[in-house]
Amino acid sequence: MMVQATSTDIRPLCKLNPQAASVTSDWAHDSKLLCCRVDPSGKYVVSGAIDYTIQRWEVATGNKTLLMGHDNWVRALGFSPDGTKLYSGAYDGRIIVWDILNEKPQPQQTVQAHQGWLRSLAVSHDGKRLATCGNDKLIKVWSTVDGKQIGELTGHPNVVYALQFVPGTYEIVSGDIVGNIFHWRSDDGAQIRKLDAADMHSNIGDIAPFGGIIHLAFSLDGQRLIASGLHKVSNAQAGNRRAVATSFDWKTGQKLIKQESLRKELDATMWRSFFHPDGTMIGIIEKEIGFWHSGIEDAFHLFATPEHIFDCDLHPNQMDLYTAHFDGHIRCVRIGSTS
Amino acid sequence: MTMKIYKPCGKIDHALGRRQFMGEFLMGTGMVVGSSLFSHPLGATEVAARGKSVVVVYLNGGISQFESWDPKTDLETGGPFKSIKTTVPGIHVSELIPHTAKMMHRMALIRSISTDLDDHGLANNIVRSGRQTRSPTEYPELGAVVAKGLERPEFPLPGHITTMVGGVGGRANNAAYLGPSYASVAVGAEKGGIVNTQLPDGISVAVDNRRHDWRRFVNNRHRSRVQTAEIDAYTQCYEQALRLMERRELFDISKESESTQEAYGKSEFGKQMLLARRLVEQEVPFIEVQHSGWDFHHNNFEFHLHYVADFDRPFAYFLSDLDQRGLLERTLVIVMTEFGRTPKINAGYGRDHYPNAWSIALAGCGIQHGAVIGKTDTKGIEVTDRKVDHRHLFHTYLRAVGIDSAGEFEIAGKKFPIADPAYGPIQELLA
Repeated sequence: MMVQATSTDIRPLCKLNPQAASVTSDWAHDSKLLCCRVDPSGKYVVSGAIDYTIQRWEVATGNKTLLMGHDNWVRALGFSPDGTKLYSGAYDGRIIVWDILNEKPQPQQTVQAHQGWLRSLAVSHDGKRLATCGNDKLIKVWSTVDGKQIGELTGHPNVVYALQFVPGTYEIVSGDIVGNIFHWRSDDGAQIRKLDAADMHSNIGDIAPFGGIIHLAFSLDGQRLIASGLHKVSNAQAGNRRAVATSFDWKTGQKLIKQESLRKELDATMWRSFFHPDGTMIGIIEKEIGFWHSGIEDAFHLFATPEHIFDCDLHPNQMDLYTAHFDGHIRCVRIGSTS
Repeated sequence: MTMKIYKPCGKIDHALGRRQFMGEFLMGTGMVVGSSLFSHPLGATEVAARGKSVVVVYLNGGISQFESWDPKTDLETGGPFKSIKTTVPGIHVSELIPHTAKMMHRMALIRSISTDLDDHGLANNIVRSGRQTRSPTEYPELGAVVAKGLERPEFPLPGHITTMVGGVGGRANNAAYLGPSYASVAVGAEKGGIVNTQLPDGISVAVDNRRHDWRRFVNNRHRSRVQTAEIDAYTQCYEQALRLMERRELFDISKESESTQEAYGKSEFGKQMLLARRLVEQEVPFIEVQHSGWDFHHNNFEFHLHYVADFDRPFAYFLSDLDQRGLLERTLVIVMTEFGRTPKINAGYGRDHYPNAWSIALAGCGIQHGAVIGKTDTKGIEVTDRKVDHRHLFHTYLRAVGIDSAGEFEIAGKKFPIADPAYGPIQELLA
């Protein structure tokens, strides 16, 4: 039985003003960054790099603390709801749990979770479960209480890129490299339904898929699912493609709209998109941050940053967007003001 | 590192007469061959080499040396893949080729290739011809040279075959002054053999033979008045097509057992490799298997995950299969590409063209097994030991199968050096 997503009580705390956006902080690490997250209290930003390290940045000062424990590119980060634990996942296939509030955070637990690259992780609403996915085509569900695996979801035919818990539940939605989106019941591993986003992937011959579901996010009321990635591939090896986010009605599974940058065509992937509490969709497309009105196909504004962005996260103040860049920088882009 | 010394190639002496090129292909046609452009008898060394084959696996577009033969683990230039041990102590390769790693005792690596062209077309020309040329037709490619050098008069199949998806028998223009009969013939690994090689419904063998008798009669009458190499080549194409039709089953990989087909894999590349093995069994002098699309300016690591996996298992099984059948002793296998990829990772997580320092792999006949030639610096940016280029490689390939690369072809009274005379083979790599 499908459990309805619950509404949240998050309300806009700020007035978005993308046209007046500006970079307000810029902190440099000496390796390319792949991911970032802001802790629930807003005190820290964490980022993952291809030098195998995690960086914890103090928002107030920009002070950096290095977390070392992975043995490959760090690709996924997530906080417990109370902000005391950081979960990290990397191409070494491992999950590491960190006591992130300590002065010098240390690994509290390390789990060899996947064969090959771990691609994404998500923490449940109550913080009791962690879900991970990877190149082994598997989704694994873990208890954060004792670190034990409590479920394994099988059925994706290829690399699983993205996953999220359905808001307010232990159900999981996941997306793979060939454009399948599966809805799972994590308790018994049953697949509830499949949403089709095959048009978000293409193939090079019969050898390599390209694209797929790079990121998944729910609207704050849980009514819409948004899948980020790419489409319109004309030359995969050269990176000629267009960034896109496809929205689905979560209740019916109906595909609603594709949102992309139409006026300014960019060879880009939408590495992440999400809904701001005021309903605006925000997406990162290479060097640009795009802003879309609900239900409108084209972006109403693009904000250009100095370098390619591979992940972003919104500060709890809702007006600071932190971006992780190819040049190793974490930048804070102010996109609104207090209302 | 211990270098295993490989015994010289198999002593296969077919003791065949020294027939000329056109005589071979016009045999049975009743034609008398006059003076030919292609009329140089082979030397003793070449005769001794008969029965050997060269198989080139061409990774078109430029495989990354980091993600294959020269990994730089735990460095930013090295990317996210680790290195793994091989069957030769001290030699490590990328974790992406676990099956090939188990065949390293039958292989050799050259990690110190430095060329100077980063354009696909131009780089293709030089690695295939072994010359510093900007023309694709100035010098014959390796396949044409090998087909000529290992030529056997009664041999019924083309000496230079390229296997590719949808190959239906067309000739390429890659033999330069050696002439079109040494150019590559494209065939596909299709179920049932080469496509379009069965007589149409309603045409019996007897009727077909009468058609060819008539064609030969008209051709002979015309040729008695006009003699050109082009006409000879045109005529030869017909005769060769007939021979391919007669031997179409050789190209039918479905004749292999299901277990063998499974072992090679059902991918297109697996099918091509299985076809290549069938052609090696027939002693075809030169076979090229093409694997295209390796030009990953974007998304290099994701694409290599899939592409190298597609290559690894069929290729390793091919080597193992040749070895077990005793064919590797007389077969040189080359994994060729036109250049390497940049140590620098670009903003699309791709690697661009990099001719400065790259690698290839070889296996089988005439080379030191378990050898590594040259090396690059820690980050893979520069060659630091035993720099070689396409000209050295060309000499080495030929010498490995017993063709005197310092020799000459004599074509219509003109002498053409077989390989660049200013260069020589990588001597320490030769068995």
